[in-house]
Amino acid sequence: MSTAYIEADRIRKIYNPGPEAVEALSSISFTVQPGEFISILGPSGCGKSTLLMMVGGLESLSAGRLLVGGRAIEGPRTDIGVIFQDPTLLPWKTALDNVLFPIHILKKPKAEYRERAEALLRMVGLQSAMGQRPHQLSGGMKQRVAICRALVYEPELLLMDEPFSALDAISRDEMNVELLEIWDKYRKTVLFVTHSIREAVFLSDRVLVMGGRPATIVSDVRCPFPRPRDFAIGESKEFNEICKFLREKIEEGYGRRRRGAGLERATA
Amino acid sequence: MKEEAATTVERAAEPLPAESPRARFDLLRTKQIVLPIATAAAFLILWEIAVRVARIPSVILPPPSEVYDTFLRTYPLLLQHAVPTMIETVVGFALATVLGVALAVVITYSPTWRAALYPNLVLFQLIPKIALAPLFIVWLGIGMESRLAFALFITFFPIVISMATGLAEVDRAMLRLCRALTATEWQVFVNVRFPYSLPYLFSGMKIGMTMAMIGVIVGEFITAQEGLGYIIIFATSRSETAVIIAAIGLLCALGLALYGVVVLAELAMKRWYYGR
Repeated sequence: MSTAYIEADRIRKIYNPGPEAVEALSSISFTVQPGEFISILGPSGCGKSTLLMMVGGLESLSAGRLLVGGRAIEGPRTDIGVIFQDPTLLPWKTALDNVLFPIHILKKPKAEYRERAEALLRMVGLQSAMGQRPHQLSGGMKQRVAICRALVYEPELLLMDEPFSALDAISRDEMNVELLEIWDKYRKTVLFVTHSIREAVFLSDRVLVMGGRPATIVSDVRCPFPRPRDFAIGESKEFNEICKFLREKIEEGYGRRRRGAGLERATA
Repeated sequence: MKEEAATTVERAAEPLPAESPRARFDLLRTKQIVLPIATAAAFLILWEIAVRVARIPSVILPPPSEVYDTFLRTYPLLLQHAVPTMIETVVGFALATVLGVALAVVITYSPTWRAALYPNLVLFQLIPKIALAPLFIVWLGIGMESRLAFALFITFFPIVISMATGLAEVDRAMLRLCRALTATEWQVFVNVRFPYSLPYLFSGMKIGMTMAMIGVIVGEFITAQEGLGYIIIFATSRSETAVIIAAIGLLCALGLALYGVVVLAELAMKRWYYGR
């Protein structure tokens, strides 16, 4: 197990330590192998984004141990790329310059990375939009630019925090397929946070389900579909069985009260 | 069914009927440009007629035609006095902008300074600062320094407050992204915070520009040394109402021109910002 790329060992997150302390994450342990695509699945507000931000060094640990690439996480690191829910592009920069923004910040030679940035934009079908400003791009196009921006400086680990949740269903499906194509090509380790069960199963090698209060990992499910994948697998029996299983796990994580409320609404 | 669908597709491919958007644009432009000019012209004509019909004495209210004649007669003097007014306005405004931006940066990055200064700045923004003008004469004398300092003083507040607002309102997600990229505070400022706050800075500068001129004129009223404000006071003492109005007219034109320069700079900034 020492080959694991990410090792989380009983990590906890406690807000406002003291008498008013709120424990958000309780004793979370998991490992990720290099090159794995892992989804973290859970209802809104369960702390899955917090967990992701802890891996990215953007949130501190209250307890436990967290290693990425054999080194403890002590703050943001340039071998980790983050893609947020909003594309957060700079309005005065073109798509290409937005992709090159990390290169500028990290003071890497821009000329060298320019080609890579252009290749990334071409790969996501934005070759004709390289010179356009964010306000001229659709939501899906902006998020594609954000993905290229995270890939341009070649991080080993990609953290994606519900990156497609602001998109409409059609764009979202498209982006899922595209993300897998990108991932097939670059084979980075990916931690992908989502509250869509089907998205998680479609994309991932493994799905970690979070639930409970304080939250912990309640299930770790393998999605054994061959790659490359296409939407056809979504109709297979196995796919739907995994989805059903995950849904049950999420409901268990919610606790009895929430489920009762759901039932009442369903019968009303 | 199939046929129907085909006709819909065909119809969609047809060019739109030529209810030309250009014609609509022209109508809009007529409304937005011609109407205000016509209203102003009508006001001047009404003024002329009213003064003549009611036989209002020239000392009370000269008609526009007389103001125009007076302007043609006195413009060498007026322009000569416009020079110090303009210089003091522009220099006061420029210094206020530099100082305002600098203080806004301090307030943004130091919570202590922010807590100490920001509420007081907002308070000062609300009080009638014109009333402080005589103090500047007491401190700095009746020369250009006091007028310039006073113009700077009243221009400073709108600029520092809008700039501080802009620096604070920067996209939180963008700051988080910078943190993830291990950007330094300076990099964040240069690449994100400052450019993001430019639209705010310009709205402050537009208010500031009008303030700067008000400050200079009030200073000229009090110090009575030179400038168009001095001409107005001087003409008042001699009951030369046409000169007063001519000087005011020139002030308005110069004020609009200075404001126009700021608006042009803002347009250039927006072109860069949005790439249009």
